[in-house]
Order: sequence, then C-alpha cells, then structure tokens
Amino acid sequence: MCRQDSRVRMSAEEEMAAEESLSIYCKPVEFYNILQRRAIRNPSFLQRCLSYKIEAKHKRRIQMTVSISRNEKEGVQTQNLFPLYVFLARLVPDVAVPEYSATYRFSRACMLSNSTGVDGSSQLQANFILPDINKLALEAKSGSLAILFVSFVGAQNPFRGINLSKGPVDMASFPSNAGGYCLWSQIPLELLYISWENSPNFVLGQRAEMISTIDMHSCFLKLSCLNEDKCLMIATPYNPETVILSQQLQVTISAEEFGAREKSLYNTYTRSDIPSTLLSHIIRLRAGNVIFNYRYYNNTLQRTEVTEDFSCPFCLVRCASFKGLRHHLCSSHDLFNFEFWVTEEYQAVNVSVKIDNWRSEIVADGVDPKLQVFFSCSKPLRRRRPKNLYQSLKHVHPHVLQSDLPAGLCDLSDKADDAHSSKGDKARISGVSSSLPQSCADPGCVQSISGNNFAPPAMLLFAKTRKLSVERSDPRNCALLRKRQFFHSHRAQPMTLEQVLSDQDSEDEVDDDVADFEDRRMLDDFVDVTKDEKQMMHMWNSFVRKQQVLADGHIPWSCEAFSRLHGHDLVRAPALIWCWRLFMIKLWNHGLLDARSMNNCNIILEQCQGQASDPKS
Amino acid sequence: MAAKFALGSEPVAGSLAPSKKREYRVTNRLQEGKRPLYAIVFNFIDSRYFNVFATVGGNRVTVYQCLEGGVIAVLQSYIDEDKDESFYTASWACNIDGNPFLVAGGINGIMRVIDCGSEKIDKSFVGHGDSINEIRTQPLKSSLVVSASKDESVRLWNVHTGICILIFAGAGGHRNEVLSVDFHPSDIYRIASCGMDNTVKIWSMKEFWTYVEKSFTWTDLPSKFPTKYVQFPVFIASIHTNYVDCNRWLGDFLLSKSVDNEIVLWEPKMKEQSPGEGTVDILQKYPVPECDIWFIKFSCDFHYNAAAIGNREGKIFVWELQSSPPVLIAKLIHPQSKSPIRQTATSFDGSTILSCCEDGTIWRWDAMENS
Repeated sequence: MCRQDSRVRMSAEEEMAAEESLSIYCKPVEFYNILQRRAIRNPSFLQRCLSYKIEAKHKRRIQMTVSISRNEKEGVQTQNLFPLYVFLARLVPDVAVPEYSATYRFSRACMLSNSTGVDGSSQLQANFILPDINKLALEAKSGSLAILFVSFVGAQNPFRGINLSKGPVDMASFPSNAGGYCLWSQIPLELLYISWENSPNFVLGQRAEMISTIDMHSCFLKLSCLNEDKCLMIATPYNPETVILSQQLQVTISAEEFGAREKSLYNTYTRSDIPSTLLSHIIRLRAGNVIFNYRYYNNTLQRTEVTEDFSCPFCLVRCASFKGLRHHLCSSHDLFNFEFWVTEEYQAVNVSVKIDNWRSEIVADGVDPKLQVFFSCSKPLRRRRPKNLYQSLKHVHPHVLQSDLPAGLCDLSDKADDAHSSKGDKARISGVSSSLPQSCADPGCVQSISGNNFAPPAMLLFAKTRKLSVERSDPRNCALLRKRQFFHSHRAQPMTLEQVLSDQDSEDEVDDDVADFEDRRMLDDFVDVTKDEKQMMHMWNSFVRKQQVLADGHIPWSCEAFSRLHGHDLVRAPALIWCWRLFMIKLWNHGLLDARSMNNCNIILEQCQGQASDPKS
Repeated sequence: MAAKFALGSEPVAGSLAPSKKREYRVTNRLQEGKRPLYAIVFNFIDSRYFNVFATVGGNRVTVYQCLEGGVIAVLQSYIDEDKDESFYTASWACNIDGNPFLVAGGINGIMRVIDCGSEKIDKSFVGHGDSINEIRTQPLKSSLVVSASKDESVRLWNVHTGICILIFAGAGGHRNEVLSVDFHPSDIYRIASCGMDNTVKIWSMKEFWTYVEKSFTWTDLPSKFPTKYVQFPVFIASIHTNYVDCNRWLGDFLLSKSVDNEIVLWEPKMKEQSPGEGTVDILQKYPVPECDIWFIKFSCDFHYNAAAIGNREGKIFVWELQSSPPVLIAKLIHPQSKSPIRQTATSFDGSTILSCCEDGTIWRWDAMENS
C-alpha cells in the first residue's frame, strides 16, 4: 500500500539520509500502536458510539420532503386548504367495511399549516424517510403505498381539539373514532418511484424534485385508531351537495439520499466517459477512501497510503466521515501535523511529524525508559545511526496496517508498558513524600522563618527555589540573556548579569514581611478575639504562608514543625500554648490532624518545657 | 475608606484685596530658552547655597545664583543626552558627605542625580514606568528623595546609595497619575501624595523604617535590596473634585490645590484604631484667580510663612499662610508677564520670588526694602 514517490532522483547518500529522516515516524507510530493494542481490549465509549453511527449511515435511505407550492394565483384557494394533513399510508386490501371505498393504514401524519403556530413558526413541509431505492422498488410495484392529502374545509374538523400544534401529529392523542367531510387526494408512490428511477441525478445521490398538481376531491373521511393500527377510511360521498367542493393543489415532492447535505466536494465526482450506472457504484466504492501522504526528508519526499472507509491509518478506527476523521486525527494523534484537503479527485491528508513537541513518552533509542525520570522532557531526541534504520523502518509498515503480534506478546508488551508507567507514578509519589522528612530533618528550614528576608532564605519548602538549569546550560539562551538589560520584576531595578544568570527566581514570591504586616493589620480589625489569639493566628498564618502549607496532608507535618519552631516561645506564654493546643484540637476535630501527630507535638512542647525549666540541659 | 467632611465651621476664604504688607518689583527677566520651564527651586538643603536655584525645562537643567541687585548668575547647565527628554521637576538633595546633589526627572521616567560639586551625573535611577511629575527631598535626611510618577506610584530613593527603598503603590494606592508628593516637616515617617485620581493620600513608612535605615548601609547591588511595597495609605482624602496637582504639609495640616482657583488648607483627622479612615476639616482657602489649568504648583519660603503661586495669565499671588483669615501679601503683575507660570520659587526669607513660565522665561521679583 505504500509506494515511494519517485519524482526526485537522489544520490545514494541522499537516499540514506532520506531513509533516516523517515525513521522519525517510528517512535510515534510505535506509541500509537501501543495505545491501539490497549484499546482493542477496552474500546473507548466514543468509538462504540461511532460504530453504531457508521452502521446507521451505511443503511441508505431516502428522505422525501412534501411541500405545498405557494402559487400566487391560487394563493387564496390554497390558503383555504390549510391545515392540510399529509399521510404516508398503505392501502389495506381487504377490509370489510362496506360504506367505505378505501381504507388506508398509516403510522405518521404531518400537519401543514400556514398560520403561525403557538411558537411563532409555521410548518409548510412534511418529511418522510423512505427505504433505499432498491427496496422501494418492491413496495412501489405493489402499488399499495401512497401519499394522502386531507383537508377539512368548511367541514367540521375531526382533529380539532387534538394536539395540532405542528409537525408529526401525536397519534396517541387521536380519538379512536373521528370522522367528517373533507377534501382529499392521493399520489401513489409508484409514480414517484418511476420518476426517481429515471432521474440520473438521483441515482448519483443528488436531489430529485417533482412538482405536480393534484385535484382535491370531496369525500367523507373516518379516522379510526384500533390496536395500534391507525386507519383512514374514505367514502365517496353520496350527498351531492358536497361534490361541488373540488380544488387543485400544487405540491412539490423532493427526495434525496438521507444525509446528503453533509457530502463534500469529493462526492460530487463526475466522469463523462463512465456510464452512470457504473458511476454510482464507483462513487460508493471510493466514498471512504482517503489518501495519506507521509511527508519526510524536510517535506520533500512522501510515502502514500490509502485507507478505506475513513479509517485512521494509525489505530484503524473507522471514522464515518472525512470530518470525523479530521477530528479523530487531530485529537488522538497529535504527535503529527495534519493537512486536510478535498477535491473532486481525492480526499487526502498530508502527515508530518511534529518535531518541536517531543514528549517524554517518546524515548530516544538506546535509552532505557525505565531509567528515565517521567517528567523530564527537555532531552533532545538523539539522531539515530543508519544502522538501526532498516529495523525501525520495518516498524512503520506493519503498524499502519494491523498489529499482527500474537495476543500473548501483545499482553506482554502491554504489561511492560504498565509496569513502566506505574513505576513512574510511584517514583513521583515517593519524590513528594521523601521531601517531607527531608525538610523536617533540616533545621535550616524552620530557622529561616525567624530571619528577615534580606538574604535569600536558605530553604523554602516546595516550590520557592526553581532551578533554571535548562536556560543556564544552554549557551544560546545564555547569550540571549547577555544581550540586553534585565530589570527585577518586583523592584524594577536593573539587574547585573550575575543576578540574571543566577539560580534565584523570585518572580512569584510573596513578600513575607509585607504579608506579615498585612496579616497583622487584618487581625487587628477583629474585635471579638483576644490578644493572644490574635498572636497565635498571626504566627500560624505566617508559618503556613512561608512553608507553603497548601494541602490537608501537609497539616501533620506543619503542626510538628510549628511546635518545634515556636515551642520555646509557646512554653513561656501559657496563654499562647493553650491557644495552640485548642487549635490542634480543632484540626483534629476536622480530621486534618491525627492523634499521633498531635501527641508528637505535645512531646515536642514538653521537651521545650523541660529545657525551659532546666536551662543547663 | 475616603475621609468624610466633618461638621464644623465654614472654611475661611482669604480676601483678594492686597494688604500691601510687602511690595515686590521685577528686578530681572531671563529668557532661558524657547521650551517651557516646568520647575524652579531654591536650595533649602544647604545653608551655604540658599541663594542658589535650579530650573528645568526640555532636556536641560540649569543652576543659577541670585546675587545682589537683581542679578542672576548662571552657575552650571546640564543637558540630557536624550533630546526628547523633558524634565518636569527637580529637587535639591545631598549625600551623607554633604555634597549638593540635584535630582531631576521628567517624561522619560529616569531620575538624574547630578553631583553639583563635581558637575557630574552621580547616578541615574530607573524604575518608574512612566514620567516623573514631582521629586521632593526629606529635609531631615536629605539623601532621601521621593518621586511621584505617572505610573501611579510614589517611590522613596536613597541618593547616597542609589537604592529604591519603598514603593507606595498597589491595592490602596493612587488610581491615576501621581502629580505631587511631600514629606511631613517633622514626622519623618509620613508623606502625602496627590494626583489625577482627585485624592490626597497620606502614607506612613513607620513599619518599613528598618528598610530605610538599611538603605544607608547597603553595600550590595541596589537590585538586590529588598524593596518593599507599601500598599495601603493611612489616610485618603477627597477634598477636590478634579486633578490635585500640588500638595504641601503645613505642620500637621495640608495645603493642596486643584484647578478650582484656590489653595485649600485642611486638617486630616485620623482615627488611631482604624487606619485609612478619618475625617477632613477644611480650615482655610486661598483664592488664586485664573488658576484653572492643571500642573501649576506653588512654593513656600523656608518657614512656610508665605506661599507664592502663579496663574494662567502670568500673575503671581503671594499669600500669608499662617494668618486667619489668610492675607494676600502681594499680587505681582507685570504687563509683559502673560505666559502661564508653572512653578514659583520663594527664597529662604520670602524676599525674592522667582517664577518660571511656559514661554521659557524666568522672572525675579524682589521685595522693596522700605516696606
């Protein structure tokens, strides 16, 4: 299915280089194959929905629209015919009701009215869905199907008082028996079928329209709804007074393949040298064909693949339409760039690999992914040596088609993947948790609180020191930094080069002194809080801010650290220590602090108390 | 938050009938250039140079000396290398060794600190994001200067070490250009600022004073100094309904003016417990006819006995500040002085009044001896 574009003549060396550049497809394709294998066992919800839609789409149906032409001359008369009921009904051949000349069974009625409805709109056309033209042929030949037009003019409307809002009339609300004088007419479906069959455009999936004038005759109509069967019984009137009522009505009946509106330029393919019967077949065959051009070697070369039924070449998902394919590719395969276009001749997708956006999922050759840190993604992809080339090229082809690995192997590689990712997750989690005891053990961390921030604090718990090692290590970035004057983001003061290139990044730092000042000012506004409580609140607020205590899980650590930091001050002021204990109890009440941590805090406080009473130790 | 007017007696407005307490005569007129002069200021920082003054206009800063008999001698002239610079303000200062410094700022937002002893630029302060509308010096610590800027901030600088110590801006700060700023004469922590948001704000740097002290001994890079933001003023007054373009402390009272042809003397009454709240008591009004354009500033003598202010028509009104009702000491009119006077300078004892005009002229008025 892949063929080499042979427009360009190249030297052997160039060919090698080109081959090598093609290999950039290997990793992303491999990655998507892994995902696809997982999806086989566990298809996504969307895909399941989609396959239903595709099936529905493959059932070809005809949408027929019946509308009343609004003729100027006859406007007044036509007006009189509204509301007009349109039925798609089947003649019941042998019903022994002697008074009636014909009985029709129907399932759906549409009301056409020109008066503005309750919701401010009027319904002037009725839509019916018919089966495929081939199936329709049988029905039509039987001659039993017809479109009925019924209008109650002047006569008492048996449907009055029933739900006549608009659109398909709710059959459940029909009275079981209703009847009255009316005007009626019918168009046999056979007539329509013949006109459609002979229309070359319709066979090619285009719209066919027919205008016909029908005569409305007076009759007596009875509606009966029995056992889910809805029947219209029509009797030619014996009362001669009513015969005079006869009117002409012009109706437009148009039909097209259901869903034809969504068709693109590609579907309007025409060739004069092919007979139309064959053409329709061709059109149907080629409808889902999509050409994929894989660009490589700086977009100078391409390999081409054609997929059928709008399927994705990477994960073989059928996408129902070109539009669907477009959305699928962009959302599910964003390691590639896609260009889409549609002409009468073909619908094509140009694919190229996104070079700028290497993810950590794609690991360079010769690197053991299990040794990689999961979130480090700045490593540039190493160029592969040509030695690996053929091996990696082999990867491209089968992946595009079908993963032909045996199921067991599939599972195995899946497991390896899972092991890999779960290990990564574990590493991440342990990274966080291990930082906790570390910072706990570091006495500098709590010390920094008491010091002012003239000097950069020695330690900040989670995020305050950010390494800009990437920038620093890259000489090009460094040169850019040297080129111009930089100003401090808070102080607006010009910075020296040394400062610019240093590790310090205070961009989003909160000024602790000012924040403390503001906090104290805010607490001063409280009138129902004692001085000690205010001080306790201030100490805690300030501690929480400086240590960036953000999550509930940080609370046990922060309580112990707080006790350690302020223990000596707390034991000297009994009022304060009670505030602190009450606060801990409050935290415990809310389930934020466990009993063991609270015990630890109290042990720390007791130790402080011991030290205070015995200064020698 | 904004202070409300207190119930009380009506403010006393001064009479525009000249008291002829003192008579002034034009003794010199100087055409410095064609560009408007925006500021003229006597050196009150150093008693050796009380008769030295500076003007700014365009990209030029000029230092003059007032001599006997109405003579004005040019001492120094500085021209900024950027010819698009337009200086709006200047203030005298000095480093801790006592060298006279002149600090000028304008449209570029860069403050030039000129060492007048060595006639060199000592430092340039960058930091303001837009034009600088006024610079004032702390008389009690004359290496501290404060600048008011279009960038809605007021900044406190140490000219000795070149440090930006504090930035008065943020949540409670001005909401438009700051046009004027002044140090409290005795409360070293206190400053008042006013601007295009029609308010006067009083700020306290008491909580931040350690940083001010730190700035004198700072030896590291100025950009490493922990510059602090003072976000909330201790008092906000809405005295005026238009741009407030000049404010000065008179003891604990404040003089401020808008474009309403008058200077207003008022007392900020703060509530000790709740900063930011308080009331205003308007005490006196000093009418200044035809003074309805913004960016006209007044000047006072060293002891704040008199204030001189020019107007749109080139006239100068000299008010006795501390008498009640206010007394108009003199009205200085000259048929050739027709151009708007942006700023005046009153000498140490008030005997000389200088004005700088939009047409680039400097006028010198001297008090007559016999009066």
